[in-house]
Amino acid sequence: MLDANGVVNKIHVENLKKNFGSLEVLKDISLDIREGEVVVVIGPSGSGKSTLLRCFNRLEEATAGKIVVDGIDITDRKVNINKVRENIGMVFQHFNLFNNMNILDNMTLAPTQLNKCSKDEAVAKAKAMLERVGLIDKADSYPSQLSGGQKQRVAIARALCMEPDIMLFDEPTSALDPEMVGEVLKVMKDLTQGGMTMVIVTHEMGFAREVADRVIFMDGGYIVEQGTPEEVLLNPKEARTIDFLDKVL
Amino acid sequence: MLTALGRTLLLALLGLFFACIIGLFFGMLSVLKNRACNIISQVFVDVIRGVPMIVLAFFIYFGVPYLFNTIIGGFNITLTALQAGTACLALNCGAYMSEIIRAGIQSVDKGQMEAARSLGLSYGKAMKKVVLPQAIRTMIPSIINQFIITLKDTSILSVIGFPELVNTAKNVQANTFMAFQTWAIVGVMYLIVITILSRSAKLLERRLNVGR
Repeated sequence: MLDANGVVNKIHVENLKKNFGSLEVLKDISLDIREGEVVVVIGPSGSGKSTLLRCFNRLEEATAGKIVVDGIDITDRKVNINKVRENIGMVFQHFNLFNNMNILDNMTLAPTQLNKCSKDEAVAKAKAMLERVGLIDKADSYPSQLSGGQKQRVAIARALCMEPDIMLFDEPTSALDPEMVGEVLKVMKDLTQGGMTMVIVTHEMGFAREVADRVIFMDGGYIVEQGTPEEVLLNPKEARTIDFLDKVL
Repeated sequence: MLTALGRTLLLALLGLFFACIIGLFFGMLSVLKNRACNIISQVFVDVIRGVPMIVLAFFIYFGVPYLFNTIIGGFNITLTALQAGTACLALNCGAYMSEIIRAGIQSVDKGQMEAARSLGLSYGKAMKKVVLPQAIRTMIPSIINQFIITLKDTSILSVIGFPELVNTAKNVQANTFMAFQTWAIVGVMYLIVITILSRSAKLLERRLNVGR
């Protein structure tokens, strides 16, 4: 979808609302994310960051409003969401590797099941991805035999095996021991250099400053402030942003 | 007596086979995100669990044909004791299986389904490839337990005249008056079959735990 300036918008959100029962988690969100943009979403817990991210691939159904991904309105119930999701990789806080399969099977399941490529090609691609995240020796291991940092690197590699255009990261380092955060952030940083459109929910402010094209601060179901990392993280204008950054930095 | 044991096993196997189908069907209904499906499954389980099996056996064997032949009229249904017994076991065991399957599926972390769906897999594929294989591991002990209970419950069906082990033993005792020997043999027969069943279940469990 092109905006007024002729820029390609990968994700277009219009007046998005999301309720869980009587609880309003997202109140009125409008947002455009350009192709190749790296957007980092920060904010206190309960501010709706993760819910917003999960709306982008319809893991949560929007209560009202519109979300257009790659030109497809995913709030339209007739849309084949599975097809859209093939182009959106997602990485979860708790890794969610399939415990009943070894690492290689974890990575080849979706490409082969969805006929993206032959079994041989899927295995070759999976191995190349494992090479890239430095875990080729774990191909035959099971998730339970890996450390948290290794699991998350595999989870990222697994998502990349589908060759998505967009990657969503839902607090990818929050469940990790501190010494394992670095290895995961490094893999993510490499990804930003490849021109991937990325939306990252995180509490890693240093990482946000380093890689983000834009930082979005959310609170109470609204986007309170957004801009370059320098603008939002170093010179915040809103009182709530200042208050939040005071607490976390 | 050995043919009677054979008939007990036949009845149990038929019952378990249909119980698995019924259990999987209602178990899946109970985990779907659909109120109506959940309620149908819950009502089924509640009704079957709330009625003693002996009552269910009489109801199916005598009550159901009477309903169609006399109350509604125009039918001429007669159920054999094997048919009625199989139906009774299948319904009874199926209801418990449905609960085991529901609990098994719900015990799998929600993130597993979410991760599979986020890769583009359909609900059915995600269920089949990711969730069910993990659920089955946790379900196996309960399912085997239910199989054993069902095998023993076949003895209740002696009341509708199916010549399984207990019914046959009653006749043997009436003819020979050797009450002690008769019932000791029956007891040992059940014991042997069930021991074999639970031992092989242990083996299977260990096999499935590879990679955990």
